[in-house]
Amino acid sequence: MSTKVVSAHYLIAGLFFVALAIMFLFSIEAWAGHYFQPKILALTHTAALGWGTMIIFGALYQLLPVILETKLYSLKLAWSSLAFFVPGIVLLVYSFWVFDPGLYMQMASLLVLTAVVLFNLNVFLTVKYKKQESIFQEFIITACLWLTLTVLLGTLMVFNFQYLFLQKDHLQFLRLHAHMGIAGWFLMLIIGVSAKLVPMFLVSKYEKKQLLSLSYYFINAALLLFMVDGYLNGINYKTYFMVVLGGIGICFYLIYIFRCFKSRIRRDVDLPMLKSLFSFVLLAVALLVLPFILYYHIKNDSFSVNLSTLYGSLVFIGWISLLILGQTFKTLPFIIWIKHYEKLTGKVKTPLPADLINTSLLWVQTIAFLLFLLSFLAGFFLNSFTLKAISAYSLLVTAFSYFSHLILLFLHKTKTEDYDHI
Amino acid sequence: MIIFNSPKSLAGMNVMAVEALKTVIDPELHVNIVDLGLVYEIKVDDVNTAIVIEMTLSSRNCPMSESILSAVKNCMERTFPEYTTQVNLVWDPEWGYESISEAGIKKLRGL
Repeated sequence: MSTKVVSAHYLIAGLFFVALAIMFLFSIEAWAGHYFQPKILALTHTAALGWGTMIIFGALYQLLPVILETKLYSLKLAWSSLAFFVPGIVLLVYSFWVFDPGLYMQMASLLVLTAVVLFNLNVFLTVKYKKQESIFQEFIITACLWLTLTVLLGTLMVFNFQYLFLQKDHLQFLRLHAHMGIAGWFLMLIIGVSAKLVPMFLVSKYEKKQLLSLSYYFINAALLLFMVDGYLNGINYKTYFMVVLGGIGICFYLIYIFRCFKSRIRRDVDLPMLKSLFSFVLLAVALLVLPFILYYHIKNDSFSVNLSTLYGSLVFIGWISLLILGQTFKTLPFIIWIKHYEKLTGKVKTPLPADLINTSLLWVQTIAFLLFLLSFLAGFFLNSFTLKAISAYSLLVTAFSYFSHLILLFLHKTKTEDYDHI
Repeated sequence: MIIFNSPKSLAGMNVMAVEALKTVIDPELHVNIVDLGLVYEIKVDDVNTAIVIEMTLSSRNCPMSESILSAVKNCMERTFPEYTTQVNLVWDPEWGYESISEAGIKKLRGL
């Protein structure tokens, strides 16, 4: 069974989320400065790898069989990937935080790269045994390729700190590295997975996949153009065109989700699903910031740096975190439920997976996260330390309520009732 | 629509079997498997005291498939302890939303 490996990923990701919130609290001052500094790099990699990618790896081990309609190739590969991934992330984040770009950081990058290669091998071998191709598969495979390129470039940048073999400015590579990760890995993967699961959860009859194909080609074209032009020329007026191209691609996907939502048979949308859908609003807001970053960057105005930090925060702590906060409680209760009730159903009355969720904790987490978002945005625009501190404490409450909710789910005790009749 | 394949003398069993199957709830959709249209056929073999349920699932490789299938077997054996139950999972005809009954649609719409 894949439940142990999935649970391990969820638990570790929860711990990284708590670590992220604590680190956020101790780096409030850093948010006003440049994003290329030790604490911000440590935070970004905790969010992107320890929190976002960790939980995506875990969720994919559970969801790949559903999405691709085939069995996962290997659990051993999944465990091996995790064994490299955890020490790799811890070492990498520590090396960034204290900024020691030497042996530890190099070892960390190689550990993370190995974990990603093992993960991708598992995904590719799973897909290899699948008979029919689908657009969901295209998204997932492409996302995995972008992830490999992201981590490979990241590794090269780590070694470049010491050996200085890259010919261009480090910040130029950082932009390429970040966008391969954001648009190539996270966006491609999230579109591929959600395009299959959202209609299933909402019981939607909408089945037209052309919008998804258009989304796929537009986003990848924008990203490829950005990689080539970004490498050769850096940010310039042509970058606007790539933002528009990618934005259109995302709009095609959002229209697909909207149509699924409109044509749904199921009326009630639960809180975890509502959060997942709302997370895309944050993605849209993050995208709206992009043209302003370009505008100020081309003008050589340092405000572009602050806006870049805002953009990164909206992507990682806004969109991706909210999506995870929602989807965790759509998927984890099922894993716990299977462990406790799979053999009992039909014999005795059992709770449903949704009954395992602690509604109070879910609301605490939701309200704390909303407070975090509002105070973070207000703190950014008003440059208020107090508001930033409120946002940091709110994130801490969110992380602790999320993690304690995970623990409660893992400690769930089997509860059954006898049938009164039938 | 469920096809019943049982001797006329055991027609009452069909009603009981459907009622028992209605206690099996899809864990995500919160609708029973009869109203979701997942049950295709109920065969009762009185000579061998056996019941055969032919049914499908809403998606292949669903992580809940084992629990739904074992729930069907368990609920039939609980209701008809003198019979053995076999559950056959079939993929033809393929399940679609049009298979959901009026009652199932109402439940999904929260009516």
